[in-house]
Amino acid sequence: MTPTQLLVGMADIQVVKGPGCFTCLGLGSCIGFCALDPVANVAGMVHVMLPEHFKDKPNDMPGKFADTGIAALVQALEKLGASRSKLVCAMAGGAQVFKFGANVANKLDIGARNALAVDEQVKKLGLKVIARDVGGHAGRTMMLDAATGEVKVRTVSQEEKLLCRLRA
Amino acid sequence: MSINSSSLDALRLSAIKELANIGLGHATTAIAELTQKPFNMSVPRAEQIGLEQIPLLIGGREEQTVGIYMSVEGDITGHIAFMFPWNSAQKLWTMILGSAPETAEQVGELEASVMLEIGNIVNSSFLNAISDMTDFKLHATPPMVSIEMAAAILESIVLEAYSADHCALSIETRIVDEQGGAEGYFVYIPSEQGLHDFFERLGLGEAA
Repeated sequence: MTPTQLLVGMADIQVVKGPGCFTCLGLGSCIGFCALDPVANVAGMVHVMLPEHFKDKPNDMPGKFADTGIAALVQALEKLGASRSKLVCAMAGGAQVFKFGANVANKLDIGARNALAVDEQVKKLGLKVIARDVGGHAGRTMMLDAATGEVKVRTVSQEEKLLCRLRA
Repeated sequence: MSINSSSLDALRLSAIKELANIGLGHATTAIAELTQKPFNMSVPRAEQIGLEQIPLLIGGREEQTVGIYMSVEGDITGHIAFMFPWNSAQKLWTMILGSAPETAEQVGELEASVMLEIGNIVNSSFLNAISDMTDFKLHATPPMVSIEMAAAILESIVLEAYSADHCALSIETRIVDEQGGAEGYFVYIPSEQGLHDFFERLGLGEAA
């Protein structure tokens, strides 16, 4: 039987108990962040787009922002029975895909800011991130197979590679 | 992702298409001068789409794409991007340089500058057409180029737009020379206020 395929689009948060394959397709400056509790068999992924939510606007999409998305993912996982201390996490993305042009140096640094904002949340929530593939110029697709815990990353120029295993 | 509430009707879309035609007419002349070759550009289709659908036009979210991006400043702020599927980009390079890189890694400064220049010419022609028609002052910031998965390019542009709620105008574009043609997608993402002001100025504003 093929496990559930979960496509995690921009600003999405997806969680599952039991087997399931998560995919963030074509991450540019966005960050894909995944977490798995191997004991409770609960896994999830969020596709954050921006470092911080807008303070002056209602935030109806917590997954869109690093400062609300990581916590919202953890909450959703806890609802399915995960415990925060058991979560094993990985992240990918935060690239600067525009490589050529006169002002690439001072524009579009959102990828780096996203990565910093996610790191901050990881620290704040006391999460354990065992692998990160962030920065650079390459857009990435990140996949998590909840059954095996394997996190894979591919780019246009590189074959799929194993980033880490979220299960021992 | 929500699509802009103020959906464009046929009349407004045809205004956009007309604008694109005028702009591309200017651009065609400029590119022909640059390359000393006859070119033709046409606009088979203009439509309003959600930003997230753009990679699907290109052929898929992971499809290798050449994206030229500029932000637009002035009376109507917004974003402009020109996206070419990889094989169209190769055709374009062949038209202008006589040969094309086989892989993204082979794209050097020369190939990138061709795309930057095309972006410059087409976008400024488009913006001039808007200015002529509306008297609004518009200018584009210097272009940037990326060769990446369609979704990764698009996502980065959406982030520059700083909101996922914008709608986009997709203007399919054909660039043709004697050897054949290349298709690209010209994507214009005006701010909501900008789009409103634009149609207002053309007398196509919404009734209250």
